[in-house]
Formats: sequence, structure tokens, C-alpha cells
Amino acid sequence: MPTYQLSVNGKKQSVDVPADMPLLWALRDVLDLTGTKYGCGVGSCGACTVLLNGKPVRSCQYPASVCAGKEIITIEGLSEEGTHLVQRAWTDLNVPQCGYCQSGQIMTTVALLEQHPQPNDEQIDNAFAGLVCRCGTYARIKKAVLRAAELNKK
Amino acid sequence: MNRRGFIQLSSCLSGGWVLSQLTPLGALANEVPDCFQPSPLIKLCSDGKIIVYVYKQEMGQGVQTSLPIIVAEELEADLNNVVAEALPYAAGNKFNYSTGGSTSVLYEYTPLRKAGAAAREMLIAAAAQVWGISPDNCRAQKSRVINTITNESIPYKDLITKAAALPVPKEPVLKNYKDFSLIGKSGIKKNNLKDIVTGRMKYGLDLKLPGMLYAVIVRCPVMGGKVKSWDEPSVKKIDGLVKLFEMKEMGEQLETRSGVAIVAKNRWAALQAQRLLKVEWAYPDGALTRSSASYFSEQSVKLKQRPDVVYDVKGNTISELAPVTKDWVSAGYQIPFVAHAAMEPLNCTAQFKDGKFELWGGFQNPGKTATVAAKFFGLGSKDVFINLMPLGGGFGRRLGADYSAEAMQVARQIPGVPVQLMFTREDDMKFDFYRPASSHQLSAILGADKRPSGWQHKIAITPVADFLLGMKGSKNWLSMEAEGGAYGDMYYNIPTLQSSVSRTESPLVEGWWRAVNFTYNNVVIECFVDELAKKAGLDPVAYRLLLLKDMPAGKIKGGALYEPERLAAVVSLAAEKIEWNKKRSAGRGLGIACCFYNHAKAYTAHAFEVSVSKEKKITIHRAVVATDVGTVIDVDGFRNQVEGGFVWGLSAVLKSEITVAKGAVQESSFFDFQVCRLPDVPPLEIHVMESSREPGGAGETSVPSVMPAMINAIASATGERVRILPIKNKGYTI
Repeated sequence: MPTYQLSVNGKKQSVDVPADMPLLWALRDVLDLTGTKYGCGVGSCGACTVLLNGKPVRSCQYPASVCAGKEIITIEGLSEEGTHLVQRAWTDLNVPQCGYCQSGQIMTTVALLEQHPQPNDEQIDNAFAGLVCRCGTYARIKKAVLRAAELNKK
Repeated sequence: MNRRGFIQLSSCLSGGWVLSQLTPLGALANEVPDCFQPSPLIKLCSDGKIIVYVYKQEMGQGVQTSLPIIVAEELEADLNNVVAEALPYAAGNKFNYSTGGSTSVLYEYTPLRKAGAAAREMLIAAAAQVWGISPDNCRAQKSRVINTITNESIPYKDLITKAAALPVPKEPVLKNYKDFSLIGKSGIKKNNLKDIVTGRMKYGLDLKLPGMLYAVIVRCPVMGGKVKSWDEPSVKKIDGLVKLFEMKEMGEQLETRSGVAIVAKNRWAALQAQRLLKVEWAYPDGALTRSSASYFSEQSVKLKQRPDVVYDVKGNTISELAPVTKDWVSAGYQIPFVAHAAMEPLNCTAQFKDGKFELWGGFQNPGKTATVAAKFFGLGSKDVFINLMPLGGGFGRRLGADYSAEAMQVARQIPGVPVQLMFTREDDMKFDFYRPASSHQLSAILGADKRPSGWQHKIAITPVADFLLGMKGSKNWLSMEAEGGAYGDMYYNIPTLQSSVSRTESPLVEGWWRAVNFTYNNVVIECFVDELAKKAGLDPVAYRLLLLKDMPAGKIKGGALYEPERLAAVVSLAAEKIEWNKKRSAGRGLGIACCFYNHAKAYTAHAFEVSVSKEKKITIHRAVVATDVGTVIDVDGFRNQVEGGFVWGLSAVLKSEITVAKGAVQESSFFDFQVCRLPDVPPLEIHVMESSREPGGAGETSVPSVMPAMINAIASATGERVRILPIKNKGYTI
């Protein structure tokens, strides 16, 4: 089995996985970073969203081999204590219900604010159009994005 | 069972967090010297920690927050000291773990208050002993007992040993509603929030045990079909496969399919093999001819025939409401199958060792796994131990025990090794226990006072009980499908009322889905009431209030108390808040609907203001909900449920549908099973009635009236009355 060097949350790690294994399973099953969730495996729900060189991607759609040498950031890479401003906004607004999709929602927000520090409605809609939350926390997600943007100003 | 027993049973575990959940149920206070357990559900320890054991399952509805709040309120505990822990399922443990029907707070409110109050009285009595004063001169606050004479105080943690020696009071005095400091107060956050936002929360699919294998199943896509053969060489090249074997159908109530299990050393190998494996199936006669269209035509034929069961709910029996007068109104409605599609696909980890099963995962009804599934293996509930993990969504789907039963069947083949069975999203979508598809014919004759003088509601449906309860063919369970306004729980004042159910044979397995039968019966009734209002030439709000006028309060069939004035109040409030009587510009439509959610004692009304373009694109300008569920425990958690119920209902009315062709489900993921996403969902204005009544439920109660309110708003805006869900099938988009 080939070996790949993955840079995850600033740490370089080698993984021995088949070339076509999606990054999602390499993160979860090999590196034990289970904060990134499997929701559909076909890029239709966004639960597995991570940052790849700063861009939000569906980790179920990227073979681990393709990600070698790129900077990968997962939910675990934001902060251990929930102090990242997006995590703080999520906490302030008590966003989650079951919580399962929230890593993807949070990582999407981190990427959105990187691109648009003060996003407008359209930019928020575009960023989240590919994500699903079956508990229906959308209204709070939107408020939390705006709260994080506020925190971003300070 | 003692603590030792638990540890032995769980010896294969390495995860510390699971071990920390082990609970010595019924342990004596002196068995663990540092802790005191005045009730099996509360443990106070000398390190200051107060553990509340929760046997209702956390699936996003917030029981790990709301139930401990109830205990802490009466215990006068500082919430910062309170830790909620899931109580594992073990035989001999008499708690009702089954979680559904918006009943957790409803049923646990009083027992949990009593448990908290008893502990508080013991701690006060212990402190009174220390000070040599009467307990009357003590009070409790924020995990301390205060001497009201001297203002001295002792923290609970220093009273553990003394309190443990005291008897548990049988009838503790409960607090007054007005003295509550936690219940009904805003600002309390979900207690697992930090774990969620840091990615540390562990769901079933996140579990990894030493030596664990991974399993997936290729299931027969058609109900009742069987494996004929499979082509093992087609997957031979995949590295890491351990074993392929046939999966047996496990019979009634479990409803698992015939299939082929694939067990591998890693998940990716199992998933690849599932994609590549070629399986030959033998299908039951006629199964391949079944489709959504054929099923709905079977239902429409049934609606024209003599019904299987007639409920003469009120007044004189009416054989058939004939179109005899110009005051006759009749309308047919069609409701589709829908999937639960919880974000965490179904999964269960199981190990079979020394003749016993140990399981891990998220289950709404672990007792069913321990009894019905265990029976398949000739075992009893004492042979099953279940570690309960948070659910990545339930919505009724995890009331089924199919996925745990399958995991047991797989693990049984590989003794001594834990195996994690996962459903892919496709599996989860195609092997759901779907919300039933149903057809309805509603007819009424308007009397001189514009109210219906006669009302008939005919339903054609396959009862959920056929599948979840193993009651195939039984007429007794047809009644369950009439609830929500057609089985003695009609909430409007209609003098002559008759409803009936005709049984059909579903091509798909069915189950309970968030808000169950209300998502069809309440929906069609609330649409039909608007049709009657139109016929009567009356405003939909005024018409509802007219139908609620003089409706006596009282117990309805099933035992729930109905207080019509509470329903009228939420209708009026929703109308007031959306400014129902304000003049709108042309093209704007208003819609309202209400729901008495009888078994969870909740009253809800939704109202929309919409406009619809020529291309049938809907714009929701405003959405309002007014709700009365009695006492609200966790205010923000409750609002989160109401927001979520709104999105659930909106998805169902606008887009969600499972279709059948050649006997099999056609949808496979979120690109074809459509649900609302963030851009689809407008802000919801929530108005909660302040109340000190005993609490009702939250999870399901805010779902049903969303759907008819939307349809009624569209009818108001466009003049088109839609009678088929989802309305995308009539060309509407959002």
C-alpha cells in the first residue's frame, strides 16, 4: 500500500492507504480525527467539509493521494477549547441540535469568512447551498455566521 | 447488577469515555464511599460533581439538557456542577428508554422533580444535623445548604456521607412554579455544545474498538426478495476483505432484508466490495410491477369501496355523504412516502462473546433490540448489554431495531470480535421505515350556520403497525392511522362526524416519522377546513374560530385532555402577529393552520405570508408560529425544536418524496431526496404562550401545521388549491 504525507492541522503525518481512499476515511479511520463526518459520500450534504489549502472541500470526494502535500484543516484544528471565533459564535447562539452536521457547517463558515470577512446574504446562501442539516438549525447557522463576522471585526 | 458485573461485560472496551458511563445501578450509598445516590438517577460526589443519569436518548431534541434541568431545579443544584450521562441499557433495569412521540419531558417531569426534591431534603436534613437546628431553618441554593439563622453555608459535596445515612423521603415537597430559577429561564446552553463545536462528540459511527472489523450489506432492493447467489470473484482483488456471507431475513418487527454481508479489515475495502459485488435475487411474484403510481391507484380504488373500519366518531352514523346539495364539498388528497434521512446514517457496532451480545450505537428504543432482536438468536434481554451513544438524528427512524439486529447477525458469525455495521447514505435512503403514503377523501355538508353539519374523512393507508409492531393484517391497528383528527380527536365542533380507514398493502416498509400520523391527517383536515371556509365565504381565521366556538373541553379518545380555548388562542395569536387583517398588496397570500397534538398536549398555529411568481416560484415574506405547550423547561432548546420542526414541515410540503419503481426505492441521496437547505428557509417568528401548566412535548408538535399553512397561503396567493404533497409535483419551487 502506498504511503502519503498528509499535513493535517499543521502536523505532518504519513498514512498507508490505497490511492483512491477518500480523504474522509483517511482522516476518520486512519488518523482518528472523527470530527469530520460521513453524511453521504457523494458530495451532496457537506457534513465532511474540511479546508484544503484554505478552500472548503467535501473530503468524501478527494482521494487522500491527491491531498498529499496540501494543507488540510479539520474541525479539530480550529481550537481544542472552542475558542475559535466561529466556535464562539456557534456557542453564543446555541446552534446545534443533534450536532452531527455541525463540523461541516463550521468549516464552511471559516472558509466563507476568510473569503468574505463581512458576508452578505447572497454570499451566505451560496456558501451553504450544498449543506444539509436535518434538524433544521439553518436560521441559527445564519445568525452565527453573522455573529462570527462581528467578532471578526474586533 | 453490580459495578463489577458491568466491567466484566464491557471488558473488551478500551475507550475511557465509555467506561466513564458505567453506572452501578441501585448501588448502595456506602458501596462507593465518595458518592451518594439518593435515586438511581442522581449521584452526588465529594468532588462536587452531580451526575444525572439520562435514560432517554439524546438525538438533538435536548433531553441531556432539559431532563437534568428538571432535576437541578428541585435539587437546587448549581448547573455548573451537573453532568449528564447516558445510562447504558442492561437487563433488570426497569427504565423506559424508548424515546419518541415528544414524550420525554412530558412523562419524566414529575418523577424527576420528585427525585431532585428528595435529594434536596436529605441534604438539608444532613446540614441541619451538623448545625443542630431544625431543617426549617435551612434552605438550599446553588449546591449549598444555607443556615438561615447564621447565614453560614455548607456545600453539598461536604454533606455526602451524612446525607447518605438518611432515609429517602417518599413524598418530598416540590417547589412552586413561581420559585423556579432554571425551568423556563433563558440563557441555558446545550450541555454538549463544546463537544459538538470542537468535533469531540462521539456518535456511533465514531466508535473504534481494538480489533474492530467493518461491515456493510448488499440488501435486496425489493421487499421480500431473496439472495439466489453472488459472484465472490468480482470482489476478490480487494485487499482487506475478511468474509462474505448471506444475511437472513429476521422476521416481523425487525423487517431486515435478505442480502450479503461483507466484512473487512477496513471500511474502504468493505465499501468498495459493496459497490462491485454482483448479487442475483429472486423476487416475489408481482413485486417488480409495483410503483408509486400503482400504489396510489390501489388506494384510490379502496377509497371508493366500503371501508375496512368505520369510526362513528360523533353523532348519527352516516353511510355516505352524497353530493345531494349545493352545500356539499369533497376533496381528495395524496401524501407520499418520505424518508427520515437523519444526518448520521444508521450504524451499530456489535460483539458476540461467551454467548452474549454487547452493542454500541444510537438507538431510540434499545429495549426492542434487547428483546425482539435477541430472540432471533434464542437469547433474552439478559444476554444483551447496550452502550448508548448520542444519535446523529433520530426522527423516529432509530425506533426500528433492524440495523442493530443486522449488526448482531453479522457479529454472530465472527465471535469474539467487535464489528461495526454501517449503512451508506444510499442504504439509509433505500432501506428506511418510511412515513406511510396515504390517500384521503374528505367530504362535508355545510349547515345553515356555515359549519359542517356532516363531515366524512376516508383514509386509505397501510398501518405502520404492520411493520414496527409485527401486526400484519390486523384491523386493530388501523385506528392508529386515523389519529390526528380522524379518530375521536377531531378538534373542531362538528355535530356529525365519521371517519374510516381502508387497509392497503404497502410496497415499502413503514415506520414512525417525526410527527407521525399528524403529518397526514392534520395536514389534510387543515387544508379541507380552508376549502370549507371558501365555500362558506368566510375568512380562514374567523372560520376556524367559529368551528372552535362552543367546543367543550374534555378527554378525547386515548385519554388526552383537550382544551379548545388554547387552540383558539394560538390561532388568534398567530393571526394577530402576522397582521392577518392588514390590507396586502395584490399577489400576496396569507395562510394559516393549527394543530392540537393530543398525546403531547401541545397547541400550535403557523401562518405564512407568501407571493408566487408566474413560474410558480414561492417567496415566503413572513412565517409566524404561536405555540402553547404548557411549562417550557429549556427555553432556548425549545425554540430550537420549534425552528427545526418548521424546517422539517417545510421540506415535507415543498420537496421531500420517496418514489417506488419496479418495487424499489428510486432515491439514493440528498441530490434526489430533496430537503430544505439554508437558502430555502426564512426567519421564523416564534411566539410562545407563557404557562405554568404541566409541560407537553416539543419535538413533533411544531411540525404538522407548517404544511397546510403553506398550502393555504399558496391557495390564497394564486387561487390554486394543491392537494398533493410535495407541492413541487405541481410545479412549485422555493
